[in-house]
Amino acid sequence: MFKASLKDERGNLFQSRAVYRANSAGEVDLEQDPSLGGDYAGVHPMGLFWSLKPEKTFLRLIKRDVMNRPFQVTLGLYDSASFLDDSRQPRASQIVERWFSCPGMQRVPISEGRLRGALFLPPGEGPFPGVIDLFGGIGGLVEFRASLLATHGFAVLALAYFAYDDLPKYPMEFDLEYFEEAANFLLAHSKVQKPGIGVLSASKGTEFGLAMASYLKQVVATICVNGPVTISTIPLRYKDLVMKPFGVPAEGVHVHPTGGLIFRHHETNLQEEQNQQRALPVEKAQGHILFIIGENDECVNSRRHAEYAVDRLKRHGKNNGRILLYPGAGHLLEPPYGPLCFASWNLSFPSPLVWGGDTILHAAAQEHSWGEIQKFFRQHLVLSRSQL
Amino acid sequence: MIQLTATPISALADEPIHIQATGLNPLQMVVFEASLKDEKENLFHSQAFYRANEVGEVDLECDPALGGDYVGVHPMGLFWSMKPKKIMTRLSKRDVINSPFQVQLKLYNSDDLHIRLPLAAPKASLTVERWYVAPGVTRTQVQEGRIRGALFLPPGDGPFPGVLDLFGTGGGLMEFRASLLASHGFASLALAYFGYADLPPQLEKIDLDYFEEAANFLLSHPKVLGPGIGIVSLCKGAEIGLSMAVHLKQITAAVLINGPNFIFSHPHEYHGQVFQALPIPLHLVSINALGLLEFCNSFGDPQAEGNRRFLFPIEKSQAQFLFIVGEEDKTLNSKASAEGAIEQLRCNGKNNWTLLSYPGAGHLIEPCYAPLCSGSWCSNLPILWGGEVIRHASAQEHSWKEIQKFLRKHLIPGQPSLL
Repeated sequence: MFKASLKDERGNLFQSRAVYRANSAGEVDLEQDPSLGGDYAGVHPMGLFWSLKPEKTFLRLIKRDVMNRPFQVTLGLYDSASFLDDSRQPRASQIVERWFSCPGMQRVPISEGRLRGALFLPPGEGPFPGVIDLFGGIGGLVEFRASLLATHGFAVLALAYFAYDDLPKYPMEFDLEYFEEAANFLLAHSKVQKPGIGVLSASKGTEFGLAMASYLKQVVATICVNGPVTISTIPLRYKDLVMKPFGVPAEGVHVHPTGGLIFRHHETNLQEEQNQQRALPVEKAQGHILFIIGENDECVNSRRHAEYAVDRLKRHGKNNGRILLYPGAGHLLEPPYGPLCFASWNLSFPSPLVWGGDTILHAAAQEHSWGEIQKFFRQHLVLSRSQL
Repeated sequence: MIQLTATPISALADEPIHIQATGLNPLQMVVFEASLKDEKENLFHSQAFYRANEVGEVDLECDPALGGDYVGVHPMGLFWSMKPKKIMTRLSKRDVINSPFQVQLKLYNSDDLHIRLPLAAPKASLTVERWYVAPGVTRTQVQEGRIRGALFLPPGDGPFPGVLDLFGTGGGLMEFRASLLASHGFASLALAYFGYADLPPQLEKIDLDYFEEAANFLLSHPKVLGPGIGIVSLCKGAEIGLSMAVHLKQITAAVLINGPNFIFSHPHEYHGQVFQALPIPLHLVSINALGLLEFCNSFGDPQAEGNRRFLFPIEKSQAQFLFIVGEEDKTLNSKASAEGAIEQLRCNGKNNWTLLSYPGAGHLIEPCYAPLCSGSWCSNLPILWGGEVIRHASAQEHSWKEIQKFLRKHLIPGQPSLL
């Protein structure tokens, strides 16, 4: 049995285990041998990483300090009898380091004007294609995806928009001009390529990503991961325009057998005339939009939202929208090898929120989509020589 | 004035309650909440949204819940959809004789709740009692010979049909099902077999002589009707129940809930003869997305040729069988087991069986209105039992009645056929 364990920065333990059979020469190679049972089955070289589970149920694994320290994962080799017995010692063990940044990368804390966040610059002179990274209802500043994307040659601004520093914890309204300020700030940076930037947004963040795509011509490539195409809960203002939110009526929230809350079932009827006017006007977008969808998303019916948006683009004679649909993937699609978080606590709610996802299919979706995200940004942000 | 009523306010835990609210505004959206604290102070609660009619009334017997822990018309939904505050806690009444579960029912304006948390006091509330014994039912601690358990007798002189009640791998003694059966006229012996009193702390083997002692004890009791007894059993208890039905003529009727048709992990012994067990390669257990252990695929194929020696020779039994199967059982492929056993009976020209197979029901099928426990700690392991809330509840409601009908039919002479 192989067991992986790590402690996050708050001391929470995450573990995974898988059972293999050695060949006649007494060898096991995770790149080609199948796991026979445990947290996953089948041939999955990185399975021990993406099947890690928190010892305390409903915790999510998030790297906070992305520059100075890696996650240390202890890999242990045990007799299979240890499967349900944690007291036994491993026959062999090894610690591996999982970094969220690369040598030579820079992290610049941003506190310019209203902006709050962190800018990640790849090593070298640049200029680099610029991307703004927006997380969702978790609030605060989540940096690990931005820092990982920067290791692949992008200048990435992880932007906070609530519950961080002096940004309000419970805003009454969001202001798209804040995000416009961020776009202009990024474009003005000496190490960022002109004339356009990208936005990578997830969950609630896609409201802002899509609004930026619709209203700001500086945003030429937008990726929306598992989010709504309408404003939710809190209104969004852009100059004179106030976009009113759709809420989820309390009775629309379903309860999972574990007690977790499932938000996906509330159906805003997007086909209704009045609701169409309240969805984001994606047909105004001048850049390209990629929707990345987990079909088993239990938090948002992301598929329906994305299909509505792409359909709306087509009805306006535009085909700058595309969907990548991943069967079995849940709400929290993250960079590859991150463990599936099926449900976790969220500060605003008394019960955990169910995100959904099938462990193995979700891992495959993360691996595939991460490549697609980089391809999409390179295709639309990186200028070919002939365009310069 | 807003009124909340629940009738009857004190009842057996397996009896329905009629819950209504009046005096609301027309078409007002309200939330009913049920909560209880078990004997270890664990909190359980449920909520459901209802819309009052034009005259400001809600009647849970005919109005649909619009959301919350269940949707649709479910008069007892508040009870069977309760969830523990601490995940993976199972609701289980320990002291069944002296006290009921007290369930608080509260009525809120839906605006006074923010995602399940009340922001204001309820508009009305009351407490109902859920008892696990009917008045007059007696409990006697049993310590005869090797037998350890609790005997529940209905009020009156009897004699009453006798039932042996067996639970599963958790060990100890679960009494709530036996006490409820006694409340419905059965002399019920809740029997422990490990992890209780001076019984072995761990399960090492199934000693059928011990269970025969228990069967004989029950049959010899002056208030127990003979000539045979029934068994109501779950999981490992059902494995034992099937074994008893094969070897002991004293067993007339066996209710087997989500049990295997083969011996697994621990060998059975009877009169010196040993019956081998299918070893379960524990390391083939799978772990689900929340870290719970799913055992159902780790048994290999018990019905396969190579495993035939572990199967019970059920065709040798003279008992009547009622197989109760939860099709979403994640601990055991109960459906395949029941079908395997039935196939064996058919091949031998026997038809002494009934199968009740419930889509959506999980492993822990209990008396009606018990909340679905889809995962809990058992012997220090986090086990996934499976089941979907609403369908599991309707399986419990249906099967509980069928179990009593089945036992009466086969244990009480002269009972009319219910076909």
